[in-house]
Amino acid sequence: MLELKDLVFSVNIKDEKNNDQKIDIIKGINFKFEKGKFYAITGPNGSGKTTLAKLIMGINRQTGGNIFFEDKDITELSITERAKLGISYSFQHPARFKGITFRDLLAISSQTDDEEKLLSIVRRMGICPLSFLDKPVDATLSGGEIKKIELATTIARNPKLAIYDEPDTGIDLWTIMPMVTLLKKEQKDKDTTTIVVSHNKSFFEVADTILILNGGNIVYKGNLEKALPILADFRICNFRPCKKGEKDARCYR
Amino acid sequence: MLDATDKNLLKTVADLEDLPQGAYNIRKDGKLLSRSTTANIDIEASEKQDGITVTIAPGTVNEAVHIPVILGKAGLHDVVYNKFIIGENSDVTIIAGCGIHCGGPEPEGHEGIHEFIVKKGAKIKYIEKHYAGGQGSGKRTLNPTTKVFLEENSKVEMELTQIGGVDEANRVNEAVLAAGSSLLVTERVMTDGNQKAVSRNKIILGGENSRSNMVSRSVIKGKSQQDFYATIVAKAKSFGHIECDAIIMDNGTNKTIPALRAEHPDAELSHEASIGKIAGDQLMKLMSMGMTYDEAVNIIIQGFLR
Repeated sequence: MLELKDLVFSVNIKDEKNNDQKIDIIKGINFKFEKGKFYAITGPNGSGKTTLAKLIMGINRQTGGNIFFEDKDITELSITERAKLGISYSFQHPARFKGITFRDLLAISSQTDDEEKLLSIVRRMGICPLSFLDKPVDATLSGGEIKKIELATTIARNPKLAIYDEPDTGIDLWTIMPMVTLLKKEQKDKDTTTIVVSHNKSFFEVADTILILNGGNIVYKGNLEKALPILADFRICNFRPCKKGEKDARCYR
Repeated sequence: MLDATDKNLLKTVADLEDLPQGAYNIRKDGKLLSRSTTANIDIEASEKQDGITVTIAPGTVNEAVHIPVILGKAGLHDVVYNKFIIGENSDVTIIAGCGIHCGGPEPEGHEGIHEFIVKKGAKIKYIEKHYAGGQGSGKRTLNPTTKVFLEENSKVEMELTQIGGVDEANRVNEAVLAAGSSLLVTERVMTDGNQKAVSRNKIILGGENSRSNMVSRSVIKGKSQQDFYATIVAKAKSFGHIECDAIIMDNGTNKTIPALRAEHPDAELSHEASIGKIAGDQLMKLMSMGMTYDEAVNIIIQGFLR
């Protein structure tokens, strides 16, 4: 349902001599996401996970390659157009507004302002108290509260493809499992293709496929069992002695 | 008595479909159009100068006074002095507002000088909306001055809004707070084109445990200009906060100068100010929920000015 073909994302930065230097963040990714499956994307910091997720939503614009959604080439489509096709995105660091409440966002997201319908959405989420509805989505919210609201506004769109960028950041221990269950239930009940970017094993355990990114490439795709040794390897920085001794030791990972 | 233009202006500045219930004073083109008083709220013409004195009897609760001003006469510059005496322990809402309809090339303007004496324990909510419309090219000026004297333990909440169409506005707000009193001012101004708006605010925290919060929200479109000055002076153990945010949409300019002055060691004063474009992450979030760029901008601005 979603296909990435030779997807590349590079940025230009200035080096010490003020020359333009091209850095590839995503280095030609090819992958097919199947309808109704649950994918967990993980990998070390800086491996390109968020960049990849943003490329799918159109927040970042690819510098090469193509993206197909339900066999339609969406490479040149805007965020708005992709959203209207059924792609929904949950930000790692959700925006904070002034004067806009959870009710406002939920009404935009679900395209209804009917009180009963909004309340039923919040109930369906199970993770946001009903009292959240009139909370302003501003700087007064805690990190966990705003993530719950972000998740709710993503799910409320009933998307065909839902992308969650680190949904568990700032979430308390007692909410992580209900959150995993919720995403899994949405996937099962609504056949939502689900992509979760995370470091949390709870998401890996319910995923159909784990993708490990490193250095802008997919270095592993498959089940959790075989992913574990690779993930364990990332946990430590492996300093290996080079020919010239410890002085030039580099971190290989 | 009210023509279509009048009704339109009244709807915009005072949310009135027709003549209101209860006490009101409607002024049109510099003259009294209609007035009504109640057992607890008296309105009479000032003796010394053009304007009215509104006297609210002590203990009056759950009543409202409407005092809108509408202007539709070319070349008129209306100046009015209004005084409000709010009786002890009363709790009332005062809805003011000025609407200008400019149909020709001559300038039109209104200067409303409002003085409030809020007696002990009284509570008021003052809502003021300014709007100018019409096809004419004449310059529309609105220069409101508001002076508030809060006696012990009184509470004042003021919502001052300039919705649009005003070419030039010079606003002055001054307040003096006695012990235990509190003041919340929320000012919202939107300018466009070559409009200019200046707001000068001075709040004196004179009594122990007085508190004040001044919130300013500015949206600056086109090549318009807004300047905001706010000073809080604390003369006693008191609390004061200034929060001013401006969103610049096109090529507008903004100057924001919050100032705090503590003349007492136990004063607690703070301010926060920010000027910037609409935040990219807010736009992205709304667009990822299916809104277009323009729809997203509208929602953000509406919320910001809410």
